[in-house]
Amino acid sequence: MERAKTYERRIGLLLRAGVAVSSVLMAAGLLLATFQSAQPAVDYNPTLRELLIGLTSGQTNESTALLLMFAGLVVLMLTPFLRVLAALFAFLAEKNWRFVGVATVVFCILVGQLIYSLQ
Amino acid sequence: MSLESFLLLLTGGVVAGTIGTLLGIGGGLFLVPFLVLVAGIPVHQAIATSIVAVIATSSTGASVYLERGLVNMRFGMLLEVATVIGAIAGGLTANVLSGPTLTKIFATVMMVTALLMLRRSANNKHGDAPETNGAFASEFNDDASGSVVRYSVKNIPGTMAISLLAGNLSGLLGIGGGAFKVPAMHLLSGMPMKAAAATSNFMIGVTAAASAFIYFSHGHLNAVLASAAVLGVLGGSFLGTRISRRIHGKTLAWIFVGVLFLISAQMFFR
Repeated sequence: MERAKTYERRIGLLLRAGVAVSSVLMAAGLLLATFQSAQPAVDYNPTLRELLIGLTSGQTNESTALLLMFAGLVVLMLTPFLRVLAALFAFLAEKNWRFVGVATVVFCILVGQLIYSLQ
Repeated sequence: MSLESFLLLLTGGVVAGTIGTLLGIGGGLFLVPFLVLVAGIPVHQAIATSIVAVIATSSTGASVYLERGLVNMRFGMLLEVATVIGAIAGGLTANVLSGPTLTKIFATVMMVTALLMLRRSANNKHGDAPETNGAFASEFNDDASGSVVRYSVKNIPGTMAISLLAGNLSGLLGIGGGAFKVPAMHLLSGMPMKAAAATSNFMIGVTAAASAFIYFSHGHLNAVLASAAVLGVLGGSFLGTRISRRIHGKTLAWIFVGVLFLISAQMFFR
């Protein structure tokens, strides 16, 4: 019981980390959009690939604020996926095979839906 | 975006986050009408923002509730299987029933659920008295009553069937399934109200995550609007977890009944 509680606390910490990172990115994007002179196009919608390239290019332009906000939103959207994956590893560590199966089914359905939605 | 618009979105987010986290229903049912009617945001963008807001509510609430031992993680994971399958099967239901018919069915079920919860709350003068000889036994420290609450879960197939329906309706009507899951866990499975709300909170983020990427890939997610609303929701969610610590399970059930009646009325007169 105590071991299970330890894993649950760790999953709680993971969720908190996801929320913290996404909040910082969204707040940074909003602040940058407020103070930069050139306003970004509000209907700008990058794909995941464009988002990654834009964030790792090291260049800043009028879209950087929006990219930061989108990055925050995507981190938040990925947090439940990581939560299910963390639960899967927790059940594996507990050798709770029935719930390893349950978590695997949930994770596979989620990833399947994600791949389908991004096609 | 003007400062007024930002503050409006932030405030709407705080209210939706507080209620959503407290009751385990995500907050989308409040946020979508608010964004469309008050903030004047197009419906698709409002739904996309609301879905990301549900993830924010779920992640923030669950992180605190897991630490407090309120979430029944194993039972929640089992119900998630039914919920995600229900969400995928949404397209099948859409072929059989029209949108307005579904909305009316949804409103009627909400009304009946509210009446059942009302009857349970009225008969249950001393708060939750859960059984402890079923499956998924768990316990938590209830700060409001100053006692350790022990409980277990019964009627698992019935609760899974309701979760399947909840997932189905989430996909079809763009609403969180928490409004179904919490009463199902409380009334059918016999979980204490606080544990039911916390476990629902834990689950709803997963259902919303898959839909969120669909809206993102279709370009319906407006980063500025969503960021402002979601930051408000995150603040509201923290507030919701603080209120949850002080509130009694019975009071929570009464608030839930009131909210169910409001949702039902909103659906009938939509």
